[in-house]
Amino acid sequence: MNGSPEKRIDPNAKKAWRITGLSFGLFWFVIPAGYFLIFGKAIEEFSVVIQAVLSLFAITAYIITGFLLPSLRWERWRYDLSENEIDLLRGFIIKKRTLIPINRVQHVDTSQGPVYRKFGLSSVKVSTAATTHEIPALNEEVAAEVRNRISQLVRLAKEDV
Amino acid sequence: MSEYKRQHWAAAIDQLFNVIRANLIPFIILFVVGTRSSDSMVFWYVLLAGLGFSFITGILSWFLFRYRVFEEELQIKKGILIRKNLYLSKDRIQVIDITEGIVQRLFGLVKVEIKTAGGGTEGATIRAITKSEANALREELRKTKTIEEGQEEIQSEVVEERVLDSWKITNRNLVKAAFTSGNFGLIASILGATFGQMESFINEENIQYLIDSLPGLNNVTLIITGVVLVIVLSWGLSFLGVIFSYSDFRVQKSEKELLITSGLIEKKHITIPFNRIQAVRFVEGVLRQPFGSGMLYVESAGFEQNQKDRSIVLVPYISKHEIQGFFERFIPEFETVSFEVKPPQRAFFRYLRRPNYLLLILLPLAWFFWDLGWVLIFSIIPLLYFGWLKFRDAGITVKENLISLRFRNLARTTAFLLKKRVQVVDERVNPFQARKKLSNFMVTAASGSAGIQFEIDDLDGTEVSKLRDQILRKTI
Repeated sequence: MNGSPEKRIDPNAKKAWRITGLSFGLFWFVIPAGYFLIFGKAIEEFSVVIQAVLSLFAITAYIITGFLLPSLRWERWRYDLSENEIDLLRGFIIKKRTLIPINRVQHVDTSQGPVYRKFGLSSVKVSTAATTHEIPALNEEVAAEVRNRISQLVRLAKEDV
Repeated sequence: MSEYKRQHWAAAIDQLFNVIRANLIPFIILFVVGTRSSDSMVFWYVLLAGLGFSFITGILSWFLFRYRVFEEELQIKKGILIRKNLYLSKDRIQVIDITEGIVQRLFGLVKVEIKTAGGGTEGATIRAITKSEANALREELRKTKTIEEGQEEIQSEVVEERVLDSWKITNRNLVKAAFTSGNFGLIASILGATFGQMESFINEENIQYLIDSLPGLNNVTLIITGVVLVIVLSWGLSFLGVIFSYSDFRVQKSEKELLITSGLIEKKHITIPFNRIQAVRFVEGVLRQPFGSGMLYVESAGFEQNQKDRSIVLVPYISKHEIQGFFERFIPEFETVSFEVKPPQRAFFRYLRRPNYLLLILLPLAWFFWDLGWVLIFSIIPLLYFGWLKFRDAGITVKENLISLRFRNLARTTAFLLKKRVQVVDERVNPFQARKKLSNFMVTAASGSAGIQFEIDDLDGTEVSKLRDQILRKTI
């Protein structure tokens, strides 16, 4: 993909995503726990091997969602703004590049959940008549800047027409 | 029109019918459950109470519903418990649809639907007024709209309403459309499921009785006749469905909009302003391909439509050779082209392979459940053929104002997008594609309150960058 976008998102994103990953990743343990609760009492049907495999699976998945994915995701996120389009590039296995013509943008907003707030992060959402796109985890000030810049560009582009 | 007016009292009946139609499924459930219990009268009491209640609310809401056009606004008062005042300003009104439902037809009336732009904003429905009233109302609401848009005089109104060109489906094409409608697959599965539920009827005894009484009938032929019966029946239903919904299908062109009317029992009118048209799709269903024909859809933005049918049928049945002519007459911004950019030869085997991945899941499953499951391996031949078709059909061309692309799932779709209407352009590369420098290319247009995305697999990477530039350069 040539002429790829350059700008990275905030490095704090890794920390924020790690926290969300580690808390939501706990759901992986539902599988071994459920197995233990259902079959644990009936000794003859309980298999230590299955329990071990399920637990190992849960631990691996937990580590991946908690540590590996946040770093990789941050590593691969790039975006750029120009006066004609918004350029997004992301994805670590399947790469996806999206271009949104500026004059197609209907509105922009920034949003911030509790975890993002702790790290001073904010994400920018860009909506067109057909779709909504998100640039996640920008530094608050950068996010505000991006949002203002986009809406300014939109105004310019629309006046041109 | 400054005095508040009521609708025709048939509005109450129409509303009653709508309540019944909307509650048909709970009604059937109630019927099955209610008549089975020992005291079956309960069901009738509940039904009567429900009907009585709907009847009274119908009359009340007819009585309380009043409308007028006043100071550039359509003003509506309505609501039984919660009184509602609705003000729709003329310049926000996008579409005025005049429809005749069954009830309206009985009384020689029409229904007027007023739709505003954008999702979330409310439209209004006037259920039953006379045709002349409806036309007067439409005229009234349109008048200032044209002035708003910079048209100099009200006289231009007359020009706008004049029909410039019209197209009507021929009976021959209607029958062809019904004959080749692909809907029967869906209906067949529903029918199959219904037959499956009729256990009380299809039991060992009855089957044995059938086998005994009809010569030459055994289990195998019984299953085959059953399947054939389901197919024929569902095909018949889908045939009728098409005849009913597309009878008397007309497209009329006026200065600013297309008007589509159709339907045998229920007349449907759809108005599409030209400046809302985003894209046109020509879909050649599997059964229609041998005839070189298909259906033409139009995607338009900003209607309050159901997610399900946000694409509007523009022509129910048209030969691919007639499309260019139709475009020239009705939507001259569109044109048919030959496809210049096609997937490169190195993508060929990816295309052949892709449909076969399905076998990786299906084959083990079939083998596991059924001893003869391995015969499924032979489906590799039609799947390869399918992959070859997909490769052959994929293509895209970007012209001055128009993007045309063609791809095949089972049906072959040719999409025509106005370049200035492109919302988003996407490119996607997976690691295997990256090795061969191939990418998937996607273009999204607005459709209804959401979007419609068109995707072409495995185009050359540099070609994709070029396409992207071509598309975006002119949108700015």
